[in-house]
Parts: sequence; structure tokens; C-alpha cells
Amino acid sequence: MDSADKISKLGTRMMPFLAILQQDLGTLWASRLVRLWLAATGLLTFLLVAANWTQFQDAPLIASILFPYLVFPWFLVVVVLGVSPVSGSRAEALADGILSRPVGRCEYLLATWSARVLVVLSVYLVVVVPAILVVTLAKRPVREDLVTVYGIVSALFVVGLVLTFLVSLGFLVGALLRKPLLAVVVLIFVWYPISLILSIFSLEQFSPVSLSRAVSTQLRQSWRQSEDEAKAAGTMQDMEQFSEQFGNLLSRLSGAPAKPKASKGDFFETKKFEDFSLFRVTLGYGLPSLAAVTLATLCFYWRDL
Amino acid sequence: MELAIRTEHLTKIYSQRLIAVNDMNLEVPQGAVFGLLGPNGAGKTTTLRLLLGLQRPSAGQAEVFGKSCGPGAVGVRSQIGYLPTNPKLPGNLRPIEYLDLVGKLSRLPRQVRKPRISALLRAVGLLGATEQQIQTFSTGMCTRLGIAAALVGDPPLLLWDEPTAGLDPSARRFTLDLIRELGKTKTVVVATHILSDIDQICDHIGVMHEGRMIFAGSMQDMKRYLRKDDFTLELEGEDGDIQRLAQEAAKLDGLDARIGAGDTLVVGIADGRSRSGALAEVLKLVDAGNVSLQAIHSGHNATENAYLQLLQEDEAHGFGR
Repeated sequence: MDSADKISKLGTRMMPFLAILQQDLGTLWASRLVRLWLAATGLLTFLLVAANWTQFQDAPLIASILFPYLVFPWFLVVVVLGVSPVSGSRAEALADGILSRPVGRCEYLLATWSARVLVVLSVYLVVVVPAILVVTLAKRPVREDLVTVYGIVSALFVVGLVLTFLVSLGFLVGALLRKPLLAVVVLIFVWYPISLILSIFSLEQFSPVSLSRAVSTQLRQSWRQSEDEAKAAGTMQDMEQFSEQFGNLLSRLSGAPAKPKASKGDFFETKKFEDFSLFRVTLGYGLPSLAAVTLATLCFYWRDL
Repeated sequence: MELAIRTEHLTKIYSQRLIAVNDMNLEVPQGAVFGLLGPNGAGKTTTLRLLLGLQRPSAGQAEVFGKSCGPGAVGVRSQIGYLPTNPKLPGNLRPIEYLDLVGKLSRLPRQVRKPRISALLRAVGLLGATEQQIQTFSTGMCTRLGIAAALVGDPPLLLWDEPTAGLDPSARRFTLDLIRELGKTKTVVVATHILSDIDQICDHIGVMHEGRMIFAGSMQDMKRYLRKDDFTLELEGEDGDIQRLAQEAAKLDGLDARIGAGDTLVVGIADGRSRSGALAEVLKLVDAGNVSLQAIHSGHNATENAYLQLLQEDEAHGFGR
């Protein structure tokens, strides 16, 4: 079989996924929620930049732009977007219109999840990237800052990852609870005190507030510096810490006493956030996102429509 | 006989509370136009949704063209063209966009999809409405578009749920004609509670009542369920004359006559007795009596009577059901 045939077969196989993705993207862009969000986030970003133009250095100003996405208020919009595709009246319509056709439920869920993630990340990047460019390139009456391209990209990545996690969480809760309003209320009650919840499980560094505070430091990190540190500390250390935290979480959940820590990490003692680990954050948000999508798919697969 | 649909002990219980489909065994032969008949809440729609894999059976199994049904049975759904009752369509799309989406969901390549969409829009009479958004469509137009969507993948089996619900007479006529036409090349299952629709288009029938299939077979078999060879004569005359006529008719060999509601004489004909001969003798009596004949109704083709009789029998069986 030549490559053209393979591509053609792949295209045919992917056709329903792409069709649903395209249809959902169109519907989302046409929705009032997304348009209002785009306008509101643009306005808020402008106000934040304008208000702090002469006061903040580059890093804190960019961190303040990213704050609404990490902490408040945009998580509300993101979870609402995540909740909707498989809950409420939409479930019946999609059963009649889409799932009665030769389309797998997994295919449908992945396509709608991808559409939501794409829309959320697009709105976020469309507003934030130009604002960051303006902040970093413009001559402002503040002391020069050492913001790096690597720092900006990694900070954008971290916020994007948190937003993706929120969409996935919304997806899961929407699939579990079926009623969109109830799902949103549950998510608000879960996400608001998330820092407190994470601190109970000794996972403070993953809380949105901590990430938001760490962004300023991360923005000044260079690729080389990061690489050197990685070499020095080793990814193994990250893995060890991650597995330690994961073990801690499991022991808390199971009710067993957690292992006593020899000392508290620098992260919270110095408040410099220099041991911020992109790798750990990626695992910390990436794995739960995957788990949420997988669980939502399983839950939706077993559900009657 | 090759089967398009086969169910074995198919059962669906919602939340351990409501029995929607109860131990149903059904066989639909390939090429049949099968009417799934039953009152509201009989379990017709649930049966179709189980076949589509939109719902999971609580027990038993369903097969379409020999393949097991279920949420993951994409291959089964590619063989089915489903039309839901009053289809909910994406209002922001136009007909061509919607059918194109459905064609893509059926994995049809562009070269096949585009010409088929044009042909279907013409066939369902929506060529003049291609500029309109679906949200501006009437119920009839939505049903026509739903029909086109069910046919986009050119499936060998059509499952249509209440296809004439909410349609005006001309749209209803169009839909029934279309089903009759499609029945020549495809297996069609029409779920409805409208008996006249079934009477006009179906060659096989299944009657559902409270989740159970109380009858499945050909239309001829169904009509045999009717109290055989009954005639109802609508008469005009004095009550005493009609009474006398009934007594005289009852004396005839192989006939049973009784007074029905509203000056009618119900004549029952025993097995083996000639229907035409019996009718002729009764008519002679009418002619000789002091009554005039207004109309004659034959119960022979009344599917409604057979259907109602089936439901009554099912109710009467009580625990024996």
C-alpha cells in the first residue's frame, strides 16, 4: 500500500472527528458566551496593562495579565464551556443528530473536547500574546526587566495547561452529573478552595495562586539556566518529588499517615519560587487532564442517551 | 429467510423502576416494510434506540444484519438510517451544510457526498429552501430534511420513528409514498401509533403493548386476528322491526346476529360459511323487512379492530401474560 492510500484511508477514518470538530468550533465561535468572553478578556487585559504601565516591571505586569486566567474570574467561563457538550438538553439533540450516525462516542467526545480546548486557548492567546508583545517591546518608564522568550513561552504553556485541565474537569463533571447548572456549581465549589484542598495533600505548588506567584520568576528564567538546573538537579529529582507528592496524596486519601518530611522545600520558605519545575507542573496538570478526559469518555460510553 | 433485525429476550429497565421493553423477541425479514405499532409509552422508541446503540439493554440482545448492537457498534449504525420523531436539527446550519455534516459522519467521500446531497434535496422537495437556515423551517420541512439525512449514507435499513407526526395531509402523503417507494429496495421499520399509516404501507407488523411484543407477523396474519367475517349493517327503521330482523337473521344457518349501538345489526359468520352467500341472505331479509339499509361495514380490513382486539386480549390475559 503506498503512502497516498494510507493518507486517504486515514482521512476517511478521521472524517467524522474532523466534521464534529469543525461544526463545534463554528458553533462555539458563534456563541454569545465566547464572544462576550473575548471582549471582556480583551478589555480586562487592556485595563490591567494601562493601569500598571508605569508601575510594574515586565515580569510582574505579564504575571498580572495571566492572573485572571489562572485564578479568577475566567475559570468560570472555561468550566461552563467544558460542561456543556454532554449534559442537559444537548445530550438528546446530539443523540438524534450525531450519535445515531456511524460515529463512536469516544470520537465525539474527543472532537468536542478538542474544540473547547482550541477555543479556550485561542481566546487566551489572541488576547494575551499581543499584550505581552506590547509590554516587552514598548519603552516604558520602569526599570528594565530580564524577561526571556523561554520564560514567556513556558509561562504561557503553564497557564494554557491549567485552562486545558479546567476544560477537562468541566467535561468530566458534566458527563457525571448530566445537569449543566449543577455541574457548574459543583465545579465552583471545588475550584474556589482548590489551594486549600491542595495544601491538605501537600500539593501547594500546583495551586493556581502559587503558580500565579511563580510566573514572575519563571518569566525571567532562560532556557540555558533552566537546562543547567535540570542537569544539576536532574529530572530524576523532579520525578522523585512528584512520586513523593503522589504517594502523599494517596496516603491522605486512604487515611494512612503521610511520610514525615525531613524539611520543608525552598519553594514555600523563600517565596522566590526558584525551584519552580515546569516538568512537575506539566505532569501535575497534564496527567489529571488526561485522566479526566478518559473518565468522562468511560462515563459517557456507559450512559444511556 | 434472511433477517435484518433480530432481538432475543431484549429487555430495558430504566433506573430499576420503569420497564420500557419487556423480554422482546422480534424478527424483521430483509426487504420488509415493518410497522412497529403500539400506544404511546409502549416502548417503540426505546426499541429503536436499543437497536441504534444509543441505549444499552438491561438483558437480552439485539442484532442488525447479524451484528450485535451497542454504543460501540459503529458498523451497525452505518447500516441504519434513523429518523427521530420531530428531529432536532442544528438551527444555525443550512440544509446543504447539515447534510454535508451527516455525509461526513457517514465517512462518505466528497465525490459521493455532494451529488447525493443534491439528489436528496430534490427528492424531498427542499431545493427551494437551501438558502434558509434550518431554524426557520416548519415541522414538515424539518421532517423532510430529517428524511434526507437518514438517506445520505444510503443505508439498507431505515428506522423511522413517527415519521408522519405533526405533518399536514400533503406532507403525510409525501412521506407515506416515499416509504412505499423505499420499501422496494430497503428494509424499513416505521414506529407509529397511527394505524392508517401502517395499513397503507406495511407488509409486516409488530404490535407492542407495555413493553411487550404481543404480535409479530404479516399483515394478513394480523387481520386474521379480527373477529372473522363480521358485517355491520347500519339500518333505519323502528326498533321493533330491527329487533325482528335480528331474530330472523340469527335463525339462518351459520349466522349470528345481534343489535349493535345506534340502529346497527352486527352479523357474525361462522367458519366455512360463504361470506357472500350469508350477506345475500341477510340483505334479502332486510329487503323484505320494514327497514332501510343505510350502509354496510365489513370488519375484514379494519386493522384498527384487530389492533384493539390484540390490546384487549393482552389486557385480559392478566397474569398469563
